Amino acid sequence: MKALQVSNVTKSYDKDPVLRGVSFSLETGERAALMGPSGSGKSTLLNCIGGIDRPDEGEIVIQGQSLKGLDETELCHMRRVMVSTVFQFFHLLPTLSAAENIEFPLQLSGMSDSDRRSLLPELIKEVGLSHRSHAMPHELSGGEMQRVAIARALAIRPKLILADEPTGNLDSTTGEVILDLLEAVSERHGIAMLVVTHSPGVTRICSRTLEMRDGVLVEQSELAV
Amino acid sequence: MEDGAERGGKPRGVGRLLWSRIIWRHWRREPRLTVLLVGILALGVAVFLAVRLANKAAVSGFGMFTESIAGESDFILRPRAGMLEADVLRELRERAGATPVGIFPVLEVSAAISESPETGLLKLVGADLVALQNAGTYTNGSTSVSGDSATGDDSILGLPDRGFVGTSFAKRFGVGKGGPLRLVVNDKVVDFVIAGVVPEDPNRPAVPENLILMDLPGLQTMAGLEGSLTRVEFRIAPGVEAAANRRKIGASMWDLATERGWILETPEDRKSSVTQMSAAFRLNLTILSGLALLVGIYLIMQAMEAAVVKRRAEIAVLRSLGVTPAQIRAAWLWEGLILGVVGAVAGILLGRLMAVGLVVAISRTVNTLYYETTTSAVTLETGEIVFSLFFGIVASLTAALIPAREASLTPPAQSMRQGGQGGGLALLRNWPLGLVLLVAGIGCAFLPPRLLASGTIVPLGGYLAAVILVLSASLLIGLLFRPIGGLLGRGKGDAMRRYAASQLRRPEGRHRLTAAGLAVAIGMSAAMAILVASFESTLTGWIQQLLKADIYVAAAGSNSVTNENTLSAFTWKELETMEGVAGMDKLRRYKVSIGENDFFLGGADYNDDPERFLQLMWLDPPAIQGPNSLEVRETGPYPGWISESLARRFSLQVGSTIPLPTPSGEKPVEVTGIFAEYGNETGTLVIARQFTEEWFGDDRVSNLAVYADPGVDLEGLLGQIREAFPGVVARSNENLKSESIRIFHQTFAVTYALEAIAVIIAVAGLGLALAGLLMERRTELTTLKSLGATRREIARAAMWEGVGLAAAGLIGGYLLSFFLGWILIFVINPQSFGWTLSYRVPWMSFLWLALITLTTAAIVAWAVGSRNANLPGEREE
Repeated sequence: MKALQVSNVTKSYDKDPVLRGVSFSLETGERAALMGPSGSGKSTLLNCIGGIDRPDEGEIVIQGQSLKGLDETELCHMRRVMVSTVFQFFHLLPTLSAAENIEFPLQLSGMSDSDRRSLLPELIKEVGLSHRSHAMPHELSGGEMQRVAIARALAIRPKLILADEPTGNLDSTTGEVILDLLEAVSERHGIAMLVVTHSPGVTRICSRTLEMRDGVLVEQSELAV
Repeated sequence: MEDGAERGGKPRGVGRLLWSRIIWRHWRREPRLTVLLVGILALGVAVFLAVRLANKAAVSGFGMFTESIAGESDFILRPRAGMLEADVLRELRERAGATPVGIFPVLEVSAAISESPETGLLKLVGADLVALQNAGTYTNGSTSVSGDSATGDDSILGLPDRGFVGTSFAKRFGVGKGGPLRLVVNDKVVDFVIAGVVPEDPNRPAVPENLILMDLPGLQTMAGLEGSLTRVEFRIAPGVEAAANRRKIGASMWDLATERGWILETPEDRKSSVTQMSAAFRLNLTILSGLALLVGIYLIMQAMEAAVVKRRAEIAVLRSLGVTPAQIRAAWLWEGLILGVVGAVAGILLGRLMAVGLVVAISRTVNTLYYETTTSAVTLETGEIVFSLFFGIVASLTAALIPAREASLTPPAQSMRQGGQGGGLALLRNWPLGLVLLVAGIGCAFLPPRLLASGTIVPLGGYLAAVILVLSASLLIGLLFRPIGGLLGRGKGDAMRRYAASQLRRPEGRHRLTAAGLAVAIGMSAAMAILVASFESTLTGWIQQLLKADIYVAAAGSNSVTNENTLSAFTWKELETMEGVAGMDKLRRYKVSIGENDFFLGGADYNDDPERFLQLMWLDPPAIQGPNSLEVRETGPYPGWISESLARRFSLQVGSTIPLPTPSGEKPVEVTGIFAEYGNETGTLVIARQFTEEWFGDDRVSNLAVYADPGVDLEGLLGQIREAFPGVVARSNENLKSESIRIFHQTFAVTYALEAIAVIIAVAGLGLALAGLLMERRTELTTLKSLGATRREIARAAMWEGVGLAAAGLIGGYLLSFFLGWILIFVINPQSFGWTLSYRVPWMSFLWLALITLTTAAIVAWAVGSRNANLPGEREE
């Protein structure tokens, strides 16, 4: 079963077309880089896949589940169990500690206290933050914040992670470490990953690139990993 | 507005741009918010103005008509106790000699409508209508009732059952010329006829709705007061020598008044000395009305801060384009100024309307507790307009100061993306200063009161303590967030509740500001509730102790302290011998004056049975108690008991001697006991009735407490009394108690309304603050949504946060109210009114207020959360 199937998706804002018939798919555990200049429609596509926005036409299917016709609550449920997002600016909840941020989606999904307690240390350890679990977001470095964001994305064991410029706000050394981490968790848990990036360096963890321009997917190329 | 001089731009150019692009456009884009802000400010100004206007109208109603019976009287001569004898007129005319002065004798008597005594007291004014008819010489025709209209075709001279009423009276009671009216005067029922209705004349004060004008001899006959006068008015004839004549008559009459122990005063003196009595009550109302505006300031501050947050990106762009912080600050202050002007103007119009309703309630209270007044028309003078405008603008500008500063500190461009400062006043984080203020506030409460030149005692220390404690609460409120957040976040399950708790554990300035606003509103309202509950509890205890008789009898209209109706000796003697009556206490009440101060003199005659002896609530008990103890006097001063208010007003204690003015000359009365009394704050001196009867030559009584024989059917006895004496009001013990409590609640009705307005404004502020917080957290909302949080869940998080905020405001407010209540009861109240009250916290009312506030906060916060959950996220691309 494909982790993600995007078929002929179009989207316009105020009659201004942003996505024009985008189609592609990702296999389970596959990682692809989505590239393109600013305004090419990358973030809109990501929002549509994440169920934050709805396409005007076309269909998006995640792990066999079509998003078409789902109401708001069902889309929310889908985000809770199947798709996670990692952002450029980390978007940690500033009033929650690192551990609480990671625990939050588990609470949302209704996981029991005991299950959460056993899973949480594992997640923190996986991203190498055991010594910083009680720190508040403003006490963390950029790399540490992104590790927390990755652990939070991993918490629900998603089928798909959408990463929006995950290294865009980090220095190059930290960025490399984060890419390694993303690659490792994808490999370990068989999670498909769509990474939006401007940086060609990011493609080193991906098996192919998708190039967008003016709302159209102009090129798909296989990469030697 | 600041110009762009430092950038070399045209002066005013930047200001105009900011006005048109930032302020005006924002208002157009958010019309509902703009209307809400203006509405809140208008409500605050309106409440403040309405209370001021109503206070003024209620007080100006006092004697407005009667003091101008002879137009604008120059002097009024009245006795310190009892009545003047009509013979005095001859002496006054002799003293005046050839000086052109009009001398107008007046008699005032209270009465009630027989069929409906609950409609309140009527005032019968007897004037010499012949003199009034000729008064043109002295008054340029400006008397309240012209001789023509009063005598006209239907002469009523000397008739004891004819009188004129004003159009408002005719309208109120549905009577016209020739219409019958059944009146109770003293304990007599009189069939009265309306001789005419005085038309309204814009050049004369309107005849009040409770006044009947009669010819003097007619009223004297009707009331059994032949040869008696309440006062004499003097009017100097206009002309070039008027000032000299006024001085001459003034000096001559002053000498006579001093010689006879009378009082000579101008109508203004009279009015100010009487209205002084209710000054503390009115001051309290004014302060309470300021509360709505104070809470409004918090609210506007929050709303404008929210606007800063919303427009932060816009401001950042302006800053990056070279607009200076000073220009940004000025733009926000302009916004505050314009909102202030518009809000104040709307508030003035609204306040004028509200005052019309409020004046009735205030007049009713003043009538019940202080003195006779009527509801005069509410007039909006230029001074009041300017004051309200100033007040509204200052409030709005004060509220705009912090947001203006915050807006000016917005850095250029998009560097604010993550974690705004959350607004609010940095000062609100300074809890150690809050503790210092708490101690200082408590210290201030012990400062002595100030006596103003006008004679009013102002508890300045108490008011200062209250203000400092309010500020202290605003600073200390932040300490509550961590424990509340901790409690809210406890337990399993609900992620959104724990998320909301995390926001409270790390509060932003806006959280503190909102909770402070709510705490001030709740604190002041709850403090008033403590005062009312303490008052009610004390009053109930007092009534229970005082009202031990089975039946209470008085002349109709007895609810008011101004009732001068009395029961004749025939009536009370008949009652005393009625079958089933075991005994009675009799009280005759007079109004007397020492210096400029009026108070009540009670002549008491208690029944002889020691078992039924009236137990007053003693603050300083007399050495000898029991029946006849007031009558025990061999030589020296007469024994007397005084109320707490009188002790305070005249600085009296047990052992002090009072030079009591009576028609038989000044009598020395020694204070032998001090008792608590909550019926009036004027003060009462009680002596034996046998002495008042002798000095005043009067065997009438004001009211009776009747004790029935054991086993007597009380309802039957009540029926017999009512049947035998249709001019009296007879009430059972229970009925009088419940009536007293009803009047008490009626007295505080205005304060309840003002408190409700303050709490409503504060809860609206909570909604606005949450809207600002959520707007600021748009990125977080996007994150929550990306993590799978539904709109309802986001709304639920907002709801929990709102509940947490409200809880902080409630806890802080209640803690504040305990201190404020203590100040009101033990500092302000004894100093202003002279009443000792026991401290009582109305826990059930507190519980209800908490439930209502929390529920409303939850609903408002949920709605705000639900609306903001759909805000578009900030775009990263």
